[in-house]
Amino acid sequence: MNDVSPELLANFLVSGLIIGVLYALMAMGITFIYSIMKMINWSMGEFYMIGSYVQWFLVSFVLGGSLWYLGVLGTAAVVFVVGLFVHRALIRPMFSTAMERRNEYGTVVTIALALFLRNLATVLNGPDTRTPAIDLSPVVIGFLRVGGTRVAALVGAVIIIGLFYYLLTRTWSGLAFRASSENRVGVQTAGLNILRVDQVAFAIGVTLAGLAGALLAPVFLVFPANGAVTTVKGFEIIIIGGLGSVPGAAIAGILLGLVESLGSVFLGTSLRDVYGFLFLLIVLVIRPQGLFGERSRLT
Amino acid sequence: MVLETAKLMVRFGGLVAVNGVDMTLRQGEVRGLIGPNGSGKTTFINLVTGIYQPTGGKVHLLGEDITAMSPDKITSRGLMRTFQLPRVFGNMTLLENMLVPRFADIDRDYRRQLPGAIEKADGLLAAVDLRRLRDEQAKTLSGGQKALLQLARGLMPEHVAAFMLDEPFAGVNMVIKETMMRLISEKAAEGVAFLLVSHEMTSIRTMCPTVTVLAEGSIIAEGTMDAIASMDHVIEAYLVG
Repeated sequence: MNDVSPELLANFLVSGLIIGVLYALMAMGITFIYSIMKMINWSMGEFYMIGSYVQWFLVSFVLGGSLWYLGVLGTAAVVFVVGLFVHRALIRPMFSTAMERRNEYGTVVTIALALFLRNLATVLNGPDTRTPAIDLSPVVIGFLRVGGTRVAALVGAVIIIGLFYYLLTRTWSGLAFRASSENRVGVQTAGLNILRVDQVAFAIGVTLAGLAGALLAPVFLVFPANGAVTTVKGFEIIIIGGLGSVPGAAIAGILLGLVESLGSVFLGTSLRDVYGFLFLLIVLVIRPQGLFGERSRLT
Repeated sequence: MVLETAKLMVRFGGLVAVNGVDMTLRQGEVRGLIGPNGSGKTTFINLVTGIYQPTGGKVHLLGEDITAMSPDKITSRGLMRTFQLPRVFGNMTLLENMLVPRFADIDRDYRRQLPGAIEKADGLLAAVDLRRLRDEQAKTLSGGQKALLQLARGLMPEHVAAFMLDEPFAGVNMVIKETMMRLISEKAAEGVAFLLVSHEMTSIRTMCPTVTVLAEGSIIAEGTMDAIASMDHVIEAYLVG
């Protein structure tokens, strides 16, 4: 085990917290879609990738580095519209008929979509790695010195999570989403168009992933496969937090970030991803339904 | 005429679950629908409310053909239903459960509409003696209370023309049953048409001047409870199954 100074530990903890919050954003998108549609979108990493590319494009060619936050808004709009279109074209046909095993077909379709989007990005982008030129001064708090882009990513993610929480708990739309996640048939017979709820929920979910990509673009760079790792992290988080639990995804994301950081600082960074999987295994043994999951769901 | 079905039919593979049912509901009518287990009562409700698509026949609500409509569109036109196993939104409060049907009614001026919706929800919750639990999560309710919540929630939309209740009295105590019956009678007096599916013959006899008997997907009798109770073929349907 490494000797660790308080300063080093503090830096790793802050880094873990920041990355954990961004992971949580991704995981919340996955679990939000699952909670309503009962379908896992395996292409979330590619929407993260799209978000990072849109942010890079807007910052590099339209807005400039100083208006990077407008780029985040633009990314949200673009990814949301893409999500609406993808749902309408690829997902809705499975849900608008009395199709059996549509969740399994959804898995096939979204995996195919992931492969298509990643390969399309490779063809269009080539082998180069991009980075949006955002120059933010480091933030110094006492002995802590944190990169400006990381702090911006953290602040942005916290704001987005707060807005998402407000949407779910304080708006009519949030009422519809929560009811739909509880009982899809019941909500239809209460007058809600479940296909429209699905479409908007899917678009919101992938937008969360896209926003994570936009916020982390200056940190983790922009390339066609940059969503793959975050996809894996996202699924780790939703298992740890509990499938279908949006608060669980948020808390589990932060925990995963902290576990990876603490493991890195005490045991070494080369096995960073292993620490997360060990944490996942421990949770599965102690609480198989996840930290905030329910043992059974009424549909 | 509020609701009218004409030769309504559904086939699941080789099984004809509902076989050419003609039924009408007038404004303010409370009609009973009875029949042995597996006779197609719930399937009939599912057909009328859009859960299943019929393989034949038509359904008209207030003169409009709703046969091919989705459940949400049918609901928005004023046809509500309950489920035998109450489908409440367990992790939401009773008040939130009550507000869900109003989401389909709201327009851009939703903030202005919210106080009125809450007032109506409180009134209906009070009518079923659940007002004191409005801020509790629905999953904490007993089965009978969930049935009451489901009934009250179905009356939330601005316009309810007809209401189909699937075994509303199943497993509930006398107090809850009487609460339900009182509310149904009140709303029927206001013009809402009810179709009551139940195995509780005493409740059907009390509430329903006209009773329809379904067996093997077809209507085999129609009339007062006393009249059909003495029909040999009705008795045979229940005994033979």
